[in-house]
Amino acid sequence: MDQLERLQGDLSFVRGALDTSTRSKSPSALYFLWAAIILMGFALVDFQADLVPEYWAVAAPAGFFASAYLGWRHARRIGQASAADGRRHLLHWGAVLVVVALAALLGESRAMPSGTLHTVILLLLSLGYFTAGLHLDRSFLWVGLLMGAGSVVVTVVPLYAWTTVGIALAVSLTVAGMREGRSREATT
Amino acid sequence: MKRPLEVGSDELPLVELDDVLQHRARIGAAVLLARHDRLSFSRLKVLLQETDGNLGAQMRKLEDAGYVAVRKEFQNRRPVTWYGLTAKGKRALEQHLAGLERLIQQARRAPE
Repeated sequence: MDQLERLQGDLSFVRGALDTSTRSKSPSALYFLWAAIILMGFALVDFQADLVPEYWAVAAPAGFFASAYLGWRHARRIGQASAADGRRHLLHWGAVLVVVALAALLGESRAMPSGTLHTVILLLLSLGYFTAGLHLDRSFLWVGLLMGAGSVVVTVVPLYAWTTVGIALAVSLTVAGMREGRSREATT
Repeated sequence: MKRPLEVGSDELPLVELDDVLQHRARIGAAVLLARHDRLSFSRLKVLLQETDGNLGAQMRKLEDAGYVAVRKEFQNRRPVTWYGLTAKGKRALEQHLAGLERLIQQARRAPE
């Protein structure tokens, strides 16, 4: 049975290698990019609310395309390219972008007051990040949970609630990005 | 390319496995390439924990069997070798894994 044991050993080694390769990691730059976009966008709600729709109309799609580019560059840099993985990320974040844009239209059509709309968008983003954490990249899980908690904070705290939530999200994304960078250094 | 694996027991019928894929690094590379479209030599080296020389030799065997396709390119003026699994390699891997599965199932059924 020596040969059989060797085969089982080989298969378990291969499974380990496969697990390591599929532990999907996003590039640190992507976390830092969204930390900056979110911090700026959330602070605008408190300080310059009239600019919020214009800001997100530009920043969200620009961030989406920049993220796609960063993901592609990262795949080439680490030497691991998977069209299926790329498609999954694009579909997930593309769907989040479309849903948020459609929700924003509700604000434009006055179907929803802007204060409520901002909270609804935060909840949608929370769901988007949380499901990304479940299915794509575990680091997004905590960001999603934090966003969910943030949607409660902005309805309860009267002053600078959006800025506070924005800072918390930016810090959590920055920390996640730094941890990502460190764990990659350890495995490459 | 295929030969029966001798498992050293009369209770276990012989199962056909692919010779080329019977090396840990080679089956590892084939499985990884089946999951990802393209992997660079250095990424494979990290994932399979192999040395340059050994991995190079194993990948050459996969290449000679027509199981992997190689593409060389320059990234930031540094040469990068990319590997991808061919249709032939994919078929061979599927058959090999099915053979392994049968073998392990039979071994589990066989009396001690």
